[in-house]
Amino acid sequence: MPNIAVLVKRVPDTNAQILVSGDRVDLSNVKWVMSPYDEYALEAAMMHKEAQGGVVTAITLGAPECDKVLKDAKAIGVDRIIRVWDDSWSELDSNQTQMALTSAVKEISAEVVYCGKSAADTGAGSTGPGVAERLDWASASNIIGLEFEDSGIEVIVPAASGNARTGISLPAVVSCDKGFCKPRKPNVKGIMMAKRAQVEVLAAEIPASGINIVSHTPPPQKAPGQTFDGATNVPAVVAALRNDANVI
Amino acid sequence: MLTYEGVDFYDIESQLSEDEIMVRDMVRDWVDEEVIPNIEEACREGHFPEEWGQALGEMGVLGMTIDEKYGCAGMSYVAYGLVCQELERGDSGLRSFASVQGSLAMFPISAFGSEEQKMHYLPKMASGEWVGCFGLTEPDYGSNPGDMITRAVEDGDDFVLNGAKMWITNGTVADVAIVWAKLDGVIRGFIVEKNDAGFSAPEMTGKHSLKASVTSELVFQDCRIPKNRILPDVKGLKGPFSCLNNARYGISWGAIGSAQACFHSAKEYTLSRIQFKHPIASYQLVQNKLAWMLREITKGQLLALHLGRKKDDGSWIPEQISLAKMNNVDMALEIARMARDMHGANGILDEYPIMRHMANLESVKTYEGTHDIHNLILGRWITGIQAFTRDL
Repeated sequence: MPNIAVLVKRVPDTNAQILVSGDRVDLSNVKWVMSPYDEYALEAAMMHKEAQGGVVTAITLGAPECDKVLKDAKAIGVDRIIRVWDDSWSELDSNQTQMALTSAVKEISAEVVYCGKSAADTGAGSTGPGVAERLDWASASNIIGLEFEDSGIEVIVPAASGNARTGISLPAVVSCDKGFCKPRKPNVKGIMMAKRAQVEVLAAEIPASGINIVSHTPPPQKAPGQTFDGATNVPAVVAALRNDANVI
Repeated sequence: MLTYEGVDFYDIESQLSEDEIMVRDMVRDWVDEEVIPNIEEACREGHFPEEWGQALGEMGVLGMTIDEKYGCAGMSYVAYGLVCQELERGDSGLRSFASVQGSLAMFPISAFGSEEQKMHYLPKMASGEWVGCFGLTEPDYGSNPGDMITRAVEDGDDFVLNGAKMWITNGTVADVAIVWAKLDGVIRGFIVEKNDAGFSAPEMTGKHSLKASVTSELVFQDCRIPKNRILPDVKGLKGPFSCLNNARYGISWGAIGSAQACFHSAKEYTLSRIQFKHPIASYQLVQNKLAWMLREITKGQLLALHLGRKKDDGSWIPEQISLAKMNNVDMALEIARMARDMHGANGILDEYPIMRHMANLESVKTYEGTHDIHNLILGRWITGIQAFTRDL
């Protein structure tokens, strides 16, 4: 029976208003949630367990406030919850993140890893392929379909002309797009299980970052819209749509 | 669509545990996704969608304060209150379903039933497979249940029930009815099942309120049930009143949900409705109303939360529940009426939730102890003199 890992990340709610204070993003007043693509990865991991048995371990990277996404995963039904962190760390870059997560995957002897295709905050999309590279495992990215076979798994991924169905032997890392399953919801019993669950904390050896973030800036403000009153302005509206907006 | 975050002016969330927040958010998301898009149609058709009852069972919120041994969750009363709040933000009829199932049907079995009764009924009721109802009120005895007419008599290995109950939520769709009747002049609780001979539950129609909720009569005509269906551990009005205390507690939270829905709609509407070149929310008269709504909702939240903590530590008294139920339903009804006014003519349309909540709350003000009866309960507590009745 496979040992299944799922990587989940705490991100600002996708509806949150992101502010920049000074030269850094200010996240002090945002609501935090599990990254939406990770919900599909979690569902894929649970489907895998239902098909082939095994143990599902949810892993996140971050400070203690990230325990909430692990409790959310526990409420859905995962067996173990692990947070990778060292109090000497601050923000980690993509390489460091991949190394720390890889260390945890090795620690629990996982045979398959599911993750979201990208995180809702950074949108980098590098974690799945990066972890696969460091483990020297097969990698399937942005899957939109998943089936379980005796010898491994079959995934559907977008290809240049249509979709490709690909068989993958385990061990493998699979990053998930949305739409191929409906992420299950928690229930009260799951939440009570989560309340009692202990988060296991693992440390990892990672090198110093070679990246220095100089500053954050907000995206440019959208230009204000124009208001036209009355039928006599129809020619002006048509001209603006044709010449300025290039939509007709 | 922006995620609904609720009114939380005094940071009530900081006083909630992580699991309480998780349960609230679970129900909040479900109400947003499944209930609010469909509630108006359910009201127009006058039915309670069966799948909502099943979903409540799958989420595990039915009888959620009862012990895990019986298939329930053993959660706090504050968590139960938050669930009621979110359900009633969707519709009072939906919250009524959960209140009746958990507080009025499952609670008496868990508190006063035999171990066999608990093991037989509670797991299936927690999962939503069996629906329960609660028969106390009669056509001629509402606020005065002590004079009920329904009787039970022993006959060999059975009890035989005769009488009628009225205004019974879920009655027609119920598999299990908790029925209060007099046995040798003493009020006792009986478990009546849907197919028992001599039992029928016709639906009451023509309601202008709680339209997405089933309301029924219960009729017992020589209804014969085995003797092991009596609740062995309670006699007198303490039985039904214990159940009502729990349901009234849930209502004190539920009303906050209705009030929040009306406040939210009034805020959005008045910010977008332009009159005399400006949003009407920019005018002092409208801001005064919004500020009053916020004030009343915030007071109601603090009242409900403190009462919930007292429920959880066992330090509550029934009069505190009376005050909370009466106050919070009253403020929610006034907020609904005020919100209707602020929506102008649009307030009567089912495009907005206002009129539905307002009509629902007229029932909620009356059921589970009328507003006036709760005043009398408090009057007795203050003066030591009961004013429910006298010799004239």
